[in-house]
Amino acid sequence: MFRKRLPILIGGAALALMATAASAQFKPSKPIEVIVHTGPGGGGDVLARFIASAIEKEKLAPVRLTVNNKPGGGGLTAMNYVVEKKGDTHAIAVFTGVWLTNPLTQSEAKVTVRDMTPAVRLVLEPAVVVVKNDSPYKTLQDFIDAAKKAPGQLKQSGGSITSRDNVVRQLIMKQTGANWAYISFPGGGERIAALLGGHVNMMVIEPQEAGEHLRAGNMRILAQVADKRLPSLPNVPTLKEAGVDVPVVPQVRGIVAPPGLPADALAYYEDLFARLAKTGTWKKYLEENQFEDGFQKSAELAKFFDEFANRMREILKDAGAKVVR
Amino acid sequence: MDIAAGLLHGFAVALTPGNLMWCFIGCFLGTVVGVLPGLGPAATIAMLLPLTFQMDPTSAIIMLSGIYYGAKYGGSTTSILLNVPGESASVVTCLDGYQMARKGRAGAALGIAAIASFVAGTVGVIALMLISPPLAKFALSFSSPEYFALMSLGLAMVVLLAGKSLIKALLAMLVGLWIASMGTDLFTAQSRFTFGQSELLDGVDFVVVAIGIFALGEVLGNMEMREGSEVLPVPKGLRNLLPTLEELKACRFAFLNGSVIGFLIGILPGAGSTVASFISYGVEKAVSKHPEKFGTGVPEGVAAPEGANNSETGGALVPMLTLGIPGSSTTAILLAALILWGLKPGPLMIQDNPSLFWGLVASMYVGNVMLLILNIPLIPLFAQILKLPVALLYPVIFGISIVGVYSVSGSLFDVWMLSAFGLLGYAMRKLEYPSAPLILGLVLGDSMERALRQSLMMSSGDLGILVSRPISAVMLALAVLILLLPVFKKANTWRVKALEENG
Repeated sequence: MFRKRLPILIGGAALALMATAASAQFKPSKPIEVIVHTGPGGGGDVLARFIASAIEKEKLAPVRLTVNNKPGGGGLTAMNYVVEKKGDTHAIAVFTGVWLTNPLTQSEAKVTVRDMTPAVRLVLEPAVVVVKNDSPYKTLQDFIDAAKKAPGQLKQSGGSITSRDNVVRQLIMKQTGANWAYISFPGGGERIAALLGGHVNMMVIEPQEAGEHLRAGNMRILAQVADKRLPSLPNVPTLKEAGVDVPVVPQVRGIVAPPGLPADALAYYEDLFARLAKTGTWKKYLEENQFEDGFQKSAELAKFFDEFANRMREILKDAGAKVVR
Repeated sequence: MDIAAGLLHGFAVALTPGNLMWCFIGCFLGTVVGVLPGLGPAATIAMLLPLTFQMDPTSAIIMLSGIYYGAKYGGSTTSILLNVPGESASVVTCLDGYQMARKGRAGAALGIAAIASFVAGTVGVIALMLISPPLAKFALSFSSPEYFALMSLGLAMVVLLAGKSLIKALLAMLVGLWIASMGTDLFTAQSRFTFGQSELLDGVDFVVVAIGIFALGEVLGNMEMREGSEVLPVPKGLRNLLPTLEELKACRFAFLNGSVIGFLIGILPGAGSTVASFISYGVEKAVSKHPEKFGTGVPEGVAAPEGANNSETGGALVPMLTLGIPGSSTTAILLAALILWGLKPGPLMIQDNPSLFWGLVASMYVGNVMLLILNIPLIPLFAQILKLPVALLYPVIFGISIVGVYSVSGSLFDVWMLSAFGLLGYAMRKLEYPSAPLILGLVLGDSMERALRQSLMMSSGDLGILVSRPISAVMLALAVLILLLPVFKKANTWRVKALEENG
């Protein structure tokens, strides 16, 4: 057992040494620009501003991080901007699932996330499958059985068809042969209102959002979309435990950099975010939002991007969307 | 906690010197942001969010909410003075507010806007305090078919916004609906009418269209007239800068109408203050004794939409505070803020944090008074801007418009779009096409199409879902009635003519 682990330990130590050595070469000399694809207040923006203030608070970097909002084009404006910054060592960007998925269906996209330098993956957002408290479905199987009996009659509220909500639906439908309708709402508030008002039967929601509705007894959780049970929901089965063995599609957020980022600068950012991920401030943030720590470095993240894109293509085709690349 | 005790407790929280100061800072910033076109309350709150991490959550939400409702006060200023809508919700205020300013009643229009904002803002808080829980339940009974009916009702208002020619108004509305359909379709993830431009994938920003058509179109139209270089009249003396008693009396019903409609539409998570202001304007015109004067500068035409967009704030806080459901982009950020401060927004928040809820409610009473006091003395000051000679004023309007649009997205593409819409606005003016129906179509088009498609998905394609649900059936019937108004009117004129001929 020791023999197996030893090389990994040595490898790890060597990597860590290399990282420190490399980060000694590159040091930011002016404020680092953090590009986000939403306006102030959007999901990526809130994360970027939190990162900037946490790095400042924990004194992890010698310079400040300034958030630059590049909204528009469903994320494409920001993505184009990042690619145009080729070789800039003082710019990074927060990517979300939108960056990975939208270029697959939009012929207007001229760049994808693979044109950039992957830096780190930071956050995985788990999800839960919920129904209203007075719903007749006590388990996920109840819901699936009911959907089989009346194909297309049950309804799920969610976001765009490229969103994770629909991905989960497509995967479960394919696995079980059940079929139900998917109704898109642009705002999270409208989705929840549709469920609580009894206009739809089920939805996929972030546990943090569901938490208070559970406590108030408005909703019931049927399953969690995660590989292992969340600490906050020890009694709720995962999809697999609920009898539906489908791959867990994570909602992911992290950092990418412009194309052609020099190796020493990349090592610096990997190290910076590795240090951030170890702080109490960061852990508290993850816990409060019920996010999972999804930390991965550049090489793993690149692999993740490719796997994610391949899986999404399949799912989008099944969902009837036109995949352009 | 019962309401009286709760409110007393709330005032004890809101009237501490610290919270009074935060409330004032919020209201002041809100006014400034509201006056500046482009930059809106949602963006401001998001940018200030990191500063509030060290603050007590109650003080922080008091300040951030101050920005939210304060911006609604400020939004009317540029609409009235320059025909530049300061916020999306103040587009409707341009219709009569700017005409009042042209008649030398700029001060009066600003005063009425401030008073309407105060009355409706206060009514909104009272309603938020007294009847939140049952109203939140009502909001949940609203779903896609009801939204479709509500939007149809709004769109039917086009016959009320039409000038001389109903056909031209309908054509303008169709252009608005077309612009609204640009961008990525939510249901299929396909892009529509983007002409290969990635900038158009999110659709066309409403602010760009409104500022282009209203402000730039107006300036271009006026520049043509050589004699038009006369300065707009600004009467001297404080008395002439404030609304007269008759003007206030004319607005009695408008204050009430704006307050009620704004609040009711505010609690619906899928509507918003722009829709509220349009519907309240339409209702005001429909029940008015002199509907033909609307659009020429009547005070009710300012009071109704300004009231509606202020009481909408109180309404929008209902689903956020009682259910944890955000009803607008601004409340979505406030909700995110509550989470960042470690609170748990949701159905139990009022119960768990009574002093936050009651402190906020009490601070909104205080804030509305502060805003009134803050805004009234500014009126004479703002009205002076019209004394600028045209050679200065027009470039100023151009500058404000371009900076305003650029500040929203930071994209030059939007500035080009602004120029295009400015030219469109000019052409429409020359050809006597009314611009309000275009804006109406643009505001409602997207959500109306979405609601219809959602309804049909819910019913597996059966159109009956739109009329089998009572709320939606009633609203659709009202929409049909409004659409038939011009027919009735025509019938009436024929009847009168026939009677005269016979007699």
